[in-house]
Amino acid sequence: MNRSLSFALFVVVALVQLAVAGGAIVKSELALRTGEAFSFRIQPVDPVDAFRGRYVAIRFAVDHAPVADGAAVRPRKYIFVPIDVDSDGYASLGRADVDRPADGAYLRLRAGVVTPDEDGNQQVWVQMPFRRFYMDEDKAPRAERAVWGGRRGQREASVSVRIRHGVGVIEELFIDDTPIHQWLAENADNR
Amino acid sequence: MGRLSIRWLLGELPKLEAEGVIDAAAADRLQAHYAEKTTGSGRRLVVAIFAVFGALLIGGGVILLLAHNWDVFDRGTRAAIALAPLLFSQVLVGWVLLKRTDSTAWREGSATLLALTVAASIALVDQTYHTGGDLESFLWRWSLLLAALPWLLNSTAVAMLFLASLTWWAGAARVEGSQVLIMWPLAAAVVPHLIQIMRSGRRGLRAANLQWAIALFLCVAVGLGIENRVPGLWIVIYVGLFALMITVGAANRRGEEGLWRRPLEVVGVVGSILLWLLLSFDEVWRNIGWDHIYSSEKFHELVWWVDVLVAVGLPLAAIAVMAFLLDRKRNRLALVWGLSVPVIAVVWPLVAATDSSWIGMVAFTLLLFIVGIVTIAVGVRHQSLGTVNLGMVVVALLVVVRFFDSEFGFIFKGFAFILVGLGFLVANILLSRSLRATDGKAQ
Repeated sequence: MNRSLSFALFVVVALVQLAVAGGAIVKSELALRTGEAFSFRIQPVDPVDAFRGRYVAIRFAVDHAPVADGAAVRPRKYIFVPIDVDSDGYASLGRADVDRPADGAYLRLRAGVVTPDEDGNQQVWVQMPFRRFYMDEDKAPRAERAVWGGRRGQREASVSVRIRHGVGVIEELFIDDTPIHQWLAENADNR
Repeated sequence: MGRLSIRWLLGELPKLEAEGVIDAAAADRLQAHYAEKTTGSGRRLVVAIFAVFGALLIGGGVILLLAHNWDVFDRGTRAAIALAPLLFSQVLVGWVLLKRTDSTAWREGSATLLALTVAASIALVDQTYHTGGDLESFLWRWSLLLAALPWLLNSTAVAMLFLASLTWWAGAARVEGSQVLIMWPLAAAVVPHLIQIMRSGRRGLRAANLQWAIALFLCVAVGLGIENRVPGLWIVIYVGLFALMITVGAANRRGEEGLWRRPLEVVGVVGSILLWLLLSFDEVWRNIGWDHIYSSEKFHELVWWVDVLVAVGLPLAAIAVMAFLLDRKRNRLALVWGLSVPVIAVVWPLVAATDSSWIGMVAFTLLLFIVGIVTIAVGVRHQSLGTVNLGMVVVALLVVVRFFDSEFGFIFKGFAFILVGLGFLVANILLSRSLRATDGKAQ
């Protein structure tokens, strides 16, 4: 192959590689800077990823949403779920639909199984696209122990998520309403 | 000319000189000419290998350093750190493409570094913003970003990394219950590089390495890629795959290359032995065939057709190679090992139709035994100790497996063992006699 042609093609590939990495930065920064903030109740556990290090795996307390009347929600297809705030101030899921809502904060999620609840209303199970909170390799296991090892049993844990145009990015992990790094610093002897 | 051919030629020189075909001066000139070539290429090879391993270690180190998760840095700094190694290795590869295209060491080394820094930078972005989802999604993005590099940079090391990450992704995706059919078109991205390599030096080390990677990838990917809606269809697919590897490898071989340069045959033979041993058990053959199809809406129509196509296509391809490409006189052994294809073509439908699993068990026990014995016989005729040993290993493994098999009574097993043992002794006596006879003739 011609040398300049192969160089030109490589430049294209290199730009794609940069765009994928850079695009993810831009998308996340936009959500973090301009997105609306919500607080999600969670339950963490601590695994490790070969490439990205230790993280706190997050299980969300909200994991299903009612299906909007007449919406053709099918498993594995993308749906739009409005995000509301419940009486405790935590995020809750509104009625899932296949169309983008006209206003208000919403997330674009992949639909899981659709099942009827006791009253016969359709419920769709969803997984949040953000399910990991990456941390320093020493701190991640301590964060997990912090949540499970409270004297009164389980401590209250939540994440704040910034949401913009269907994209959600985790901002911070809280334990008993204190940011995790601050909590770990204050409870340094709690091992 | 390949290094093995050169070594052969240099070995022939004294004889040619003694027989007066060439004079001493010509022999010296040939010696000097080729000695220079072999030592030069050897050095180049070592440099290339060092470059690739150096890049692998540095890139791996960068990934590990970033995985520590430096939360002392703010988001902006981390974003910059994420892009810096990527940008650096991209510039390096660009420079190599313009100035050092002909150096295998530079090309392979810089391409390997780029492949790993791509992984490092998407990993750090994921880590910084807590995005990117599971390992599966990470491996998928990495594989996509690598796909064009093996061909574009003519890099076998990156092709191997690419196939490894794609296989890993497919495994992770299957664990999650996702569809992996898309793996095949993406894996085809190594084909242009394969053609590139086969054109430039099909007997070279890089060609051998790439074939190893492809052969191993196929072994795993075929298992991950089939939906297995018809229970037991995997048996036909794997028998076909290994037979195809053996026959294509044999048809592609020219001289007496070492084992490392015959990856298709090695993977095909080892795979065949393990598969046949597995198939010599009754359990594998239970509840197979179209009468036991699972009905669930999870299955994809297209996937199911791909399964059938692969199950029919691989054995047919193996037969086509045996019929049209193999030199049947020279490659008797490959034909013997290809026997599994007609056997499976008869046995699989028979077991599926009658639900009698013992047919499959008996057929593959006999196949192992016959192929083992014929391999020993061919080895004896060609006076090839390696081939004799291969046949011995096949028969011995069969014997060991049957020794612990509880299907048969002790008396039956006892007599069978004594008979086979006697067979070995007789074969041994005949072999040593014929070897002595040829030795006598040679002297």
